[in-house]
Amino acid sequence: MEYLGLSLALFGAALAAALAGIGSAIGIGIAGGAAAGVMTEDPNKFGSCLILQALPGTQGIYGLLIAFFVLNKLGLLGGAGAVALNWNQGLQILASCLPIAVVGWYSAIWQGRTSAASIQMIGKKPEAMGKAIILPAMVETYAVLALLTSILMLMGVQVG
Amino acid sequence: MGVARLKKAELYYHKSVHEQIAAAIQETGACQIISSEEENHPRPADVDALISRNDEKLADVRYLSRTLTPHYVDPVPALDRMLGERPEVTMAELKELAESTNLKAVCDKTRALERESGEVKTKLSEARMNSSILSSLEFLPYPLSVVTEGTKTLSGLIGTIKPSNVSGLRAALGDFSKYKDDSELVIAPFNEKENAGDVYVALIYSRKIEEEIREVCAKNGLSLVEIPSSLTGTVDEERERLAGAISELEAKEAEITASIKALAEECVPTVQKLSDYYNSLSARYNGTAMSDETDSVMLTRFWLPSDKADSIRAKIEAISPEVELTLSDPEPDDEPPSMLMNGNMVRPFNILTELYSSPTYRGIDPTPLLAPFFWIFFGMCLGDAGYAIVVFGLIMWVFKKYRKIAPGVKDFITLFLFCSVSTFIYGVISGSFFGNFIDSFLPPLIPVKNALMLVDPMTNPMQVLGISLLLGVIHLMFGLLIAAYDKMRHGEIIDAVGEKISWFLLIVGLCLYGVGLGGMLPPHFVQIGGAMAVIGAVIIFVYAGKGEPNYFKKIINGFLALYGSTSYLGDILSYSRLLALGFGSAVIGMVINLLGGLAADIPYVGWLVAVVVIIGGHIFSIAINILGSFVHPLRLQYVEFFGKFYTGGGTPFTPLTLSQEFVNVKA
Repeated sequence: MEYLGLSLALFGAALAAALAGIGSAIGIGIAGGAAAGVMTEDPNKFGSCLILQALPGTQGIYGLLIAFFVLNKLGLLGGAGAVALNWNQGLQILASCLPIAVVGWYSAIWQGRTSAASIQMIGKKPEAMGKAIILPAMVETYAVLALLTSILMLMGVQVG
Repeated sequence: MGVARLKKAELYYHKSVHEQIAAAIQETGACQIISSEEENHPRPADVDALISRNDEKLADVRYLSRTLTPHYVDPVPALDRMLGERPEVTMAELKELAESTNLKAVCDKTRALERESGEVKTKLSEARMNSSILSSLEFLPYPLSVVTEGTKTLSGLIGTIKPSNVSGLRAALGDFSKYKDDSELVIAPFNEKENAGDVYVALIYSRKIEEEIREVCAKNGLSLVEIPSSLTGTVDEERERLAGAISELEAKEAEITASIKALAEECVPTVQKLSDYYNSLSARYNGTAMSDETDSVMLTRFWLPSDKADSIRAKIEAISPEVELTLSDPEPDDEPPSMLMNGNMVRPFNILTELYSSPTYRGIDPTPLLAPFFWIFFGMCLGDAGYAIVVFGLIMWVFKKYRKIAPGVKDFITLFLFCSVSTFIYGVISGSFFGNFIDSFLPPLIPVKNALMLVDPMTNPMQVLGISLLLGVIHLMFGLLIAAYDKMRHGEIIDAVGEKISWFLLIVGLCLYGVGLGGMLPPHFVQIGGAMAVIGAVIIFVYAGKGEPNYFKKIINGFLALYGSTSYLGDILSYSRLLALGFGSAVIGMVINLLGGLAADIPYVGWLVAVVVIIGGHIFSIAINILGSFVHPLRLQYVEFFGKFYTGGGTPFTPLTLSQEFVNVKA
């Protein structure tokens, strides 16, 4: 049972990177389909489409960020070696990873749908780019809040 | 500052000079034509003729542009074109070019080449299809004419059949053994054990039994293959002939493509210039068509910025002595378009307002009000001195290299130049330089970095969270005060106090109270804050019940209004994204440096990998973080800030201008 804490913490890091990453991949995929559709009509919209498609990608980055944060906290990056962790601390780190893992996953998918709708909007009204970019950003708010929660929780957990 | 004052112009002039007048108005680029109010107003007769003649030319130009542009390789990169590296021409030069260019001839030539290319393509695909059929018929020893034409007594067919049906077909044909002498079944070699698709078979038979044979074939699952009648020789002969024809056609196709390419090289630059020319004329004539006409006098109405009135008047009056320009201020029931007029420091931010919605002519221009906040918020979100230096340097280089950037594009780039300054400042005070580059790779500089640091989001994030939320409160309260001012301007003082000032008192009071209790302010702030909050809450409560005769409902409405404070709580917490995004850029930078450091441990090539990882990683980080740092502060302006006072809803000022899609046109 010596390494249970470490394993739980790593499980948390894996969930953060994996679930948020899956969400972003799905979200970008949805938006990409819409972008390809719009570009068959007008290839010149590539630039605006790409920006809108990239928006649901941030959740994956947030997840990665938390995963690195955890690895760094555990001392697994660099040659220092892992810090000692009891199972309670491991569970705390796992819990800290959950906000970005779950919210990142879901919000990226819904942000992808909003992005797809926005891409269709600029397909018809290119001048509405400002509004088109804000609608997906409304969804991202909750991913940002989850990221913040995860960071603050992680900072609060005492290890070593 | 703010929305530009406009004048409504009524311009009377003699019909004979209408083309010069319209050209002059277009060249100023500062007049928006107002359509005649009468529905079927008398249109200047010759304008319709001008428009239809111009439309013909435009159709030609569009056809050429559509057909030839895909074959044209622009010697100047697209990015350079976007940044203003385009030919400069005057309208006079364009006119000369238009007169000396025979568009019809170029169109005819292009159409001929297109038609020829289409024919060759059809022939080529036919030949390729025939040759692919032939490659399946190698087993046939006879000339194909037996199948395609037949002889006096013999006929033939070719078909495909499943290998498993072959024996059945053979057996069925055995019944026709009396005709054995003049019939034959030829089957392509196949391997029964391998389940490899259908087998080709050819049947040669006497014409007399044509129908029976076909019936038997259909029963045994043979599907006929249509052999083109042009194939008559043996398979080998035909293949040779087709190979020759194909290579000939391919050569021909290459030749036509080369001619189209040459034509494109020769004509596209001219076509692009003419496109701008005829589009300019089209806009001009359509502007004239909105004028009113009497027997000899025409009347054009337009909006123009009042500060340009004198120069435009001088320009127009120089054309003919028989013009009369009267200027008047907009009537109360006029809805003039709105044009944002801001100084050099604020103008780059105009685009942020325009992306949302232009203000109405008599409304508030929010640009100067949002500019400082956007500037600070962007800086906090990107928040890295190193990234700021990269962005600043890149933009300065672009400005140095490209001197002719279009004003709109230049303003947008300048926005990022400004924001790189706030990014630099926040990067320095939060100790972020390419993430934690200094700590990782430049330890001697650590004391310098630490000396300049005022906040440390890494070890004390609550401090930065507090700053973010405080900025949020200031931003929101500023929005409320603007809304109150706007209401007072229109004489609605009670509403201003009841809806806006009351909330200002409540929230500012609560903040002072809370901060005072926390011991960060002298204790009497607790009393002041508490008093403000109570006064605010009472006003909100009373105002919400205004006009409601029933006391019970008055009280319900009052509580419901106070419950609206939750939305302010949500608004304020929304500013926590400033911490999160700033933190995000810093940690992504840190991760990149960490990976670079790990890569450096690889023997021999480690340093190279490290350099690639660090440079590539930071470029990626800059790109992704600029996107976030643009979008999220913008959301704070649009949703939280504009939600308090701004709705937009104006029509943007769209003056009659020269079309400049491909070239920079000078008047």
